Order: sequence, then structure tokens, then C-alpha cells
Amino acid sequence: MRNDPFSSIWVVCPAYNESSAIVSVITRLRQAGYDVVVVDDGSADDTRQLASPLATAVVSHPINLGQGAALKTGIDFALEQGADAIVTFDTDGQHRASDIPRLLDALVRNEADFALGSRFLSEPLNMPRMRRILLWGATLFTVVTTGLRLTDTHNGLRAMTRRGAQALRLRQNRMAHASELLAEIARSRLRYVEVPVTIDYTAYSLAKGQRTGDFVMILLDLLAGKLYR
Amino acid sequence: MIAQIVLSFLLGVVLLYAWAQYRRSPIVTILSCVVSLAGFYFVWLPSHATRVAEFVGIGRGADLILYVWACISLVVLLNLHLKLRSQQELLTQLARSIALANATLPEDDARSTDASRMSSLMEGQTSQPRYRRADAPTPGQTADQSA
Repeated sequence: MRNDPFSSIWVVCPAYNESSAIVSVITRLRQAGYDVVVVDDGSADDTRQLASPLATAVVSHPINLGQGAALKTGIDFALEQGADAIVTFDTDGQHRASDIPRLLDALVRNEADFALGSRFLSEPLNMPRMRRILLWGATLFTVVTTGLRLTDTHNGLRAMTRRGAQALRLRQNRMAHASELLAEIARSRLRYVEVPVTIDYTAYSLAKGQRTGDFVMILLDLLAGKLYR
Repeated sequence: MIAQIVLSFLLGVVLLYAWAQYRRSPIVTILSCVVSLAGFYFVWLPSHATRVAEFVGIGRGADLILYVWACISLVVLLNLHLKLRSQQELLTQLARSIALANATLPEDDARSTDASRMSSLMEGQTSQPRYRRADAPTPGQTADQSA
């Protein structure tokens, strides 16, 4: 499963109260041969204890900071470890480890620095209509604000080269990080490519996922971020 | 007369506070002084507030004061929000530094409590990785990729 051009591949798994899904997620990633760093974002349950014996490394935020902050911490850790490819992977079980080689291959084949998973390039399973509409709105927003031509802007499965990871300046702690990450890709002017991936919508991943109100908060966070800069 | 004395006392406190803050933020001090002195003026000569209000097309002096107060409140609110965000960013950096300094690798169970390491992380510097698996590439092997 390891892609030869990359000698050190780290999968970053941000986790907040994911005790019911994290064991199977890490197990599958480790079986596929990847180094996994779990960033426990101040979980109140036993996410950390469950992850510790399975993951390559566990990094724990002393307080809950948000998924964006957890991703940044994981990316920083992977860079310190000398990773030359970094994959971000949600821990609620919606992603498939078998999609990672395709993302890494896409990086190599296209000489890209970012390979972004898209559920709309393949047929999504069990996607509720409301979520489809919200994601369509988010995609339109991203196209307008960043100019990136993407089909799926809020997909947690991504791969990036070391150079790509180093180019990212992530400051949004909460859910707005996904849009910020794309804005950073646009700013970096590095090459990106979209790769079809499969999302498994389960009752658990839907419950953990974003709600309609979250999208309003994302917009407010992004506006506040613009003001702040 | 009682209200004028009480208000003058409060405005005097604002002036004192602004003066004390001069070194930290001259702009805030100057703005606070201007607002306080204008306050003094209108507290003792309220009829002038009405004249100014009529001049700018508001009507009553009390309304003018209310509108100006609302605008000042919004600016203060924005300033507080920005300060809160910068505090959050500092908190995030601190939490991240603590998390990275205490990262655990079950395979070698390495731990680091090096204070100098922590301070270098806070400054955003990157040095040699602390935890490295036996099969991971050495720093020399990755130096060319980080360029």
C-alpha cells in the first residue's frame, strides 16, 4: 500500500470524543501500512486511551480547540517527524483507507502538492438531500472567494506533500478551517488536484458531522477572520 | 447639579485611566480624552448639545449623545472581539506547544519535558524531531524536500 515516491507518509487523524469509531479507523490505517498520528482534541471520553496502543503517535490538546487546530497540530507533528506526504483523515469512519493510495498517486502523477478528495466525482452513498444542498452552497462560496475549481470543498480526506503542508498558514480553529485551507491553497499557487473518494454515511458520521447551523457559524468565522487580518 | 457632579467625577476617572494607558496605546488615550472632554463640555452646557444636534440634523441633544454613545460602544465591541481573537490564538499556540511537547509514541514511549524545546516551539522554530521511529528517514534525508 505504500507509495514508493514517498518514504514517510503520515496520516493525521483529528479526534474529539470518537471512542466508538476510532479503534476501527486506526486499525485499518495501520494495517494499510501508514504512520498514524491521532490528535486528541481534549476529548472527555477515552479516545486517547483507545488510540494510544494502536496509533503510531498520540498528541493531546489539553483543552478542546476545534478540528482546524487539531489538524494544524497533527500536520506540525508530522512535519517534525520528517513526513514527505501527509494525509488528513476524519476519525468518524466516513473515509476509506483504500482511497489514500489514489490520493498519493494523484500527487505524483500530476506533480501536485495537494490532492483533495471529492465525494461528487464518485457516487456518494446515502447522502441526505439537505447535506447535498449545503455542500453545493459551500462549493459555490469557495469558487467565488478563492477561484479554485472544485466539486467538493468540505471533504476531510486530503493528501499533501511536505512542501504543500509547509505552505499552509492555518489560523481557523473551528469548522471554518476547511474553507481557510482552500484559501491557503489558492494563495500558495501550488498545484492541486481532485480525486474521487467514497464517503460512507453512517448514522454515527451524520450525527458527528456538520449541521445547518454550523454553516452559518463557518461564514461568521470566515468574516471575522477577514476582519482580523 | 448633583448629576453634573457625579458625571464629571466619572469622566474624570476616564481621563485618569486614559492618561495611565498612554504608553500602552496613545491612540486609545487621545480618543478617550477627546470623548471625556466633550462629555465635560456637554454635561455643564447641555444646551450646546442641542445646538450641535440641530446643526447636524438630529434634533435633540440627548439623541445626539445616545447615537454617539452607540457608535462608541460598537467600536469598543469590535476592539474587544479582536483582542479576544488574538488571545485565542495565543491560547491555541500554547496548547499546541504543550501537546507536541508531550506527544507519545507507544513504540518507543519517548517523552520530552525539555523547557528549551517548549520555548523554541513557541517562537515557531523547528528543530530536530524529538520522536523518531527507527525506520523513519533521518533529518539529512529530508532536508532537500523541505527546501
